[in-house]
Amino acid sequence: MSKKIISVENLTKTFVSKAEELTVLQGTSFNINRGDVICLLGISGSGKTTTLNIIAGLDEPTSGRVLYGGSNIGEWTLNQLYDFRLQEMGIIFQEFYLLEHLTALENIMVPMILAEKTEDEAQERALELLTQVGLRKKAINHPEELSSGEKQRVCIARAIANYPSILIADEPTGTLDSKAGDEIINLLLGIAQQRQMTFIYTTHDPYVTKLAKRIFLIQNGLVVENGQSSFDNIEFDEKNFKYKFKGDKI
Amino acid sequence: MNEKDDFVSSDAGGSFYSRVFYGFLFNLRLIWKNIKNKKRSTIIIIIGLVFSMSILFTSSIWTNTSQKIIADDYIETLDYEMFISTFLINRMDEVYEFVFYDPLVKQADWIFPTVALFNYEDKVYDPEDDDPPYRWYPEENQDNMTNPLSLSSAFVVSSRSIDRIKLNLEIEGNATLNSGEILVSYTQAKQLEKVYNETISPGYVLNVAITRRIPNTDEGEHTMQYFDIEETSYENYTISGIYNYVGHNSIVERLVGGGSEGAGGIILDSILFPAEDMTGVDLFVMDSNGILPRLLIKTNAQLLREGGITQMPDNLLALKERIEIRFFHSFCYIISQEIQTMADEYRRSFSATSLFLPTIASAIFLTVLSTQITIKRRREEIAFLRSRGASSGQIVGLFFGEFILISSVSLVLSIGFGILIAALVPSFGHDGFFSTTLFLRYFQYLEISPYEIEIFSVLVLGVYLGVTLINVISYVRKDIQESFLITRKGQQIVGLSMKLAAFALTIAGFIFLYLDYVSLAGESYTFGFNLISASSKTLYVFIGVVFFGCYFASLGVNYILKSIEGIFKRIFRRKSYVTFRNIKGTRKSYITFLDIEKTRKSYVALQDIKRTRQGLFVLAFFDFFIRMVAFYACYFASLGVNYILKSIEKIYNRTFRGKSFFIFRNIKRTRKSLADLTFFLVLMVCLLSSSIMIRSTTIHNLEAEDVYRKGADIRIQSILPVNISEYEEKISSIPGIEKTLGFYSIVASIGYQNVEVFGINAPDYLDIGRWIDESFPETNADNALTDLGANQTGIILSKYIAERLGFSVGKTMFVTDFRGGPFYMRFNVSAVIESAPGLGIAHGHDPKMNRITNEWVLVNKELITGLGVENGTLFLADVSDGADVEVIAEQIRVLNPLFNVNPEKINPDYIGYFITGYIPPITVVLLIGAIFVNIIAIVYVVISTEFILEQRRREYAVLMALGGRQSNIRKQLIYEISIFILATIIVGIPLGIITTLMGMSFLKPLLISQEVVVMTLHIDVVSLLIMIVTLIIAAVLGIISPIRKQMKHDIVHELRAIV
Repeated sequence: MSKKIISVENLTKTFVSKAEELTVLQGTSFNINRGDVICLLGISGSGKTTTLNIIAGLDEPTSGRVLYGGSNIGEWTLNQLYDFRLQEMGIIFQEFYLLEHLTALENIMVPMILAEKTEDEAQERALELLTQVGLRKKAINHPEELSSGEKQRVCIARAIANYPSILIADEPTGTLDSKAGDEIINLLLGIAQQRQMTFIYTTHDPYVTKLAKRIFLIQNGLVVENGQSSFDNIEFDEKNFKYKFKGDKI
Repeated sequence: MNEKDDFVSSDAGGSFYSRVFYGFLFNLRLIWKNIKNKKRSTIIIIIGLVFSMSILFTSSIWTNTSQKIIADDYIETLDYEMFISTFLINRMDEVYEFVFYDPLVKQADWIFPTVALFNYEDKVYDPEDDDPPYRWYPEENQDNMTNPLSLSSAFVVSSRSIDRIKLNLEIEGNATLNSGEILVSYTQAKQLEKVYNETISPGYVLNVAITRRIPNTDEGEHTMQYFDIEETSYENYTISGIYNYVGHNSIVERLVGGGSEGAGGIILDSILFPAEDMTGVDLFVMDSNGILPRLLIKTNAQLLREGGITQMPDNLLALKERIEIRFFHSFCYIISQEIQTMADEYRRSFSATSLFLPTIASAIFLTVLSTQITIKRRREEIAFLRSRGASSGQIVGLFFGEFILISSVSLVLSIGFGILIAALVPSFGHDGFFSTTLFLRYFQYLEISPYEIEIFSVLVLGVYLGVTLINVISYVRKDIQESFLITRKGQQIVGLSMKLAAFALTIAGFIFLYLDYVSLAGESYTFGFNLISASSKTLYVFIGVVFFGCYFASLGVNYILKSIEGIFKRIFRRKSYVTFRNIKGTRKSYITFLDIEKTRKSYVALQDIKRTRQGLFVLAFFDFFIRMVAFYACYFASLGVNYILKSIEKIYNRTFRGKSFFIFRNIKRTRKSLADLTFFLVLMVCLLSSSIMIRSTTIHNLEAEDVYRKGADIRIQSILPVNISEYEEKISSIPGIEKTLGFYSIVASIGYQNVEVFGINAPDYLDIGRWIDESFPETNADNALTDLGANQTGIILSKYIAERLGFSVGKTMFVTDFRGGPFYMRFNVSAVIESAPGLGIAHGHDPKMNRITNEWVLVNKELITGLGVENGTLFLADVSDGADVEVIAEQIRVLNPLFNVNPEKINPDYIGYFITGYIPPITVVLLIGAIFVNIIAIVYVVISTEFILEQRRREYAVLMALGGRQSNIRKQLIYEISIFILATIIVGIPLGIITTLMGMSFLKPLLISQEVVVMTLHIDVVSLLIMIVTLIIAAVLGIISPIRKQMKHDIVHELRAIV
């Protein structure tokens, strides 16, 4: 039986601006087990990224809590959170967030340098990772010289550099064509399986969910799972402009 | 749709005029909104503009206003500016009438130098009883010594003239000269006290007569009848006041002899008699008997300073010429030297304000950079307007509108600040205390030159407008830029080439001006108008050289910083630090005998040695010896280098640990790099450190010169000549005094040059005087004075006289026309001198010394005493260790109340001190300039660091998202900025030293009035440390804002930040 690694309890998130208050998460709860491959599916603005950010400790919930190994990350100090992201979590951002003044190789070295590895060690491992993601030849290229797919590969390599136990990816195929998207998802799944990592990714494209073990839908600020984690079991409700599991009523 | 959309797609209806009007209003509102939204940037730009313009305006307003006040005040302190005499006495009335109507003349007063006779018992000359006539002899040898007649020099002056003459007098009693009143000198009063055996004080009644004729004693005119006093006879006059002459720069002094110098201090031993008490017949008889009247001329200060203060000597000369041309028989004496000195000092003081130039240039530069930063920040705004279809003209128009508004506000503020600073700074004068009177006077005299304000405004605002428009246009119309210069590298090459060409031109201009300066300096003995002007001109171009120098140095700094990591890696990874073996193997670093053999200079007569067997042996030994020396030298050097490199590695590792990865990559980056700071920082550090060093060098030199001019531990100046040997003895007997030296003095001539001949005890002068290396150009004080002491007919001459008249050491020469002594004496030149402690420069007018003559020589005192000269006015004394100088000085003052002991300023009336009351001295100008440059540097470091790091906010958020700690990021930032600050300081300070050394070679005329003690570089370590610390603090302040934002917002917010 899989062991529970992350537990999300009654999570709410409300964004407050001068003009309005917007609640994107409304007391949702779910669990994630070690080795899970989870896809969060939802339309744009449904709260996918917010959910990932809160899980990664990048953002704070308005209420509710996220437990990692039974410990509430909301009660952690900033340094504990930094260490958590550095050692346990690999993050792939929707907008890549590669450091433009560093080469592909150096971008991959960043988390290792942050983890106080020597430059030589970091460089050696970064080259391995670049080979793994098929970008060995682009090692000294800067991000502006890379295509979106290549940038995404660099991001993947950067995310797994410190052997994290959890890998989260926000819309990893969002800026890619379907072919490149497939390649990236396959690469990510391959890496996740190989390293037995828990892999959580978001998408607004139901096609991308087909390789996930579990599919979570975000509906009305709630994360929903019906146990039938299958791409074929999802349909788009055009009337309400939302995804739903077949047969579910919204 | 927001307001910007409205702007670009406005299609308002209505007539053309209403559309134009509403469009204008709309644009105005938009401009105002932009300014409001960019409050901080706007404020920085306004500060930069106000700073630059107000300094320029200050200098203009200050110049125009100060010179009026200085000229008026200075002329007011002078008794008169001119006296006129003529040998055709009967034409004197015509001269009076002529000058009376000259617009430049404000007041003309008569003065008759004559003699007063004091008669205690009415020894009236009675023509009926001529036998025996009263015979006059010197006071100590008169007919009846129990009731002698006393004589004194006297001046018959008009009662109104006393109001001017009294400016130079210290008077006990009243300074009036009404009918029946006389003013008596302190010395005369003391002499009369002896004669009458009564206390003479104001209110005392004296029986006195004024002579109408000066008897010629050489022709035996010793009797009373020759004084022609019969008309008025003796009458009783009340002493209204007893005076002491305390002035230096006065026409009366020049006319009659003033204090301790010139004609023997006649006015110090004299009386002043009211001309109104003389009848017309008296005056006629005086005229007839050759007592020549003179006219004292007071000019109208406002007219005299017309055309500026520097025009004053010319205006005065023009008056002299007008009179002398109209009356060929007349002679006009003007205080040209003093007015010229004032004009020079004024010119120097204001030229010295050109040392503000670096500050102004820095302020303009700051404005340019702030503008660039602001426009860079608004690239997105420009892009947005473009995307919405705004034409280039509309966008440029918007920025132009902002420029107009900001410039208008800045201009108004600058004029206000300019006026305020122009009044405030001088109000603090040289004593550092605020003077409300001076502050208010500046407002009374306030003069603003619209022309200069216009020029300066156009200059500063033009630069600002140019930078704004060029930047905006380059963003708006990228295509133009790209078509013009195809590649980025191309742009860089063109840019660099243009800068190099401009640098070459600036260097050429500098060399030209510098050579011009050097040639002028070589021909000049003083720092006059031309030299001051040449110095200023060279300074202007030199600032350009410094700017370019710093620019290219900053390129080097950035290059080195970018290569540092590679160097470190290469050094430490391969462990290729210098070892002995490496040294042995490298040809360049190993000095071999062969190399030495090749250099002819370093090896003497190698060929000769080679010819002999013995020579070959010596050669072989020499070869072996040098190889061994080189071998061990290299070995120990390598140990040292290894040790240092290993230490560096440790420091490097300890300092950066795992952070060097980010630090060096940030240094290497081309965008958002702190390397943008380098140029400005190198420039600021260079300018700042050179300002500090020029200031400290100047202060050091002034102090050294003051000490040198003072001459010894104690300097004693007597107002009246006193017996030297008598007072040497008295002073030496005071406990604590080791040795005393008196200067016997007599005036004589060399060629046609009047010289003051000082008789001294050479060994004593050597002991007591604070000699410097530069005193004697060809020898030292030891040799020169020992030689003089050993050679009784020796003479030490100024270098100027020696060169002009072809005298050299050992040659015989003559000094002629000793006043009251022999016609000539033969001397042997024993040394050539530039200056001496206590006497100042040997040739030329030294305005800081209390003497009028332009030339002096030193001889042995026995020669002077042999001529019967026993007197002098100067003593130097050596004080034993631990003695209280103040107590000794007080005891010396008790010896003779006319002694001035250790005067604070040797010439208290030195016009330079007078001017510094209105214009802060150069040291203050440099200090203010340095403070301003420091402030500019701090502001720039803060805003630039903040701007650059703000752009990196997202990067830091990414690092934190990946697990980087905030504290580590902070440390990285601090290390990175520290590297830049330290690198710029390391390069900037040596550049500052070079700038100082180069600058001082041509800036001296602006810094000091004469170079008596050679200026040598003096580094003010404390100020440099303050500069370094403030810059580091500024950098830390610049880091605070981005760090605060990071702490304030969560990572997600920062990741989304628009940067």
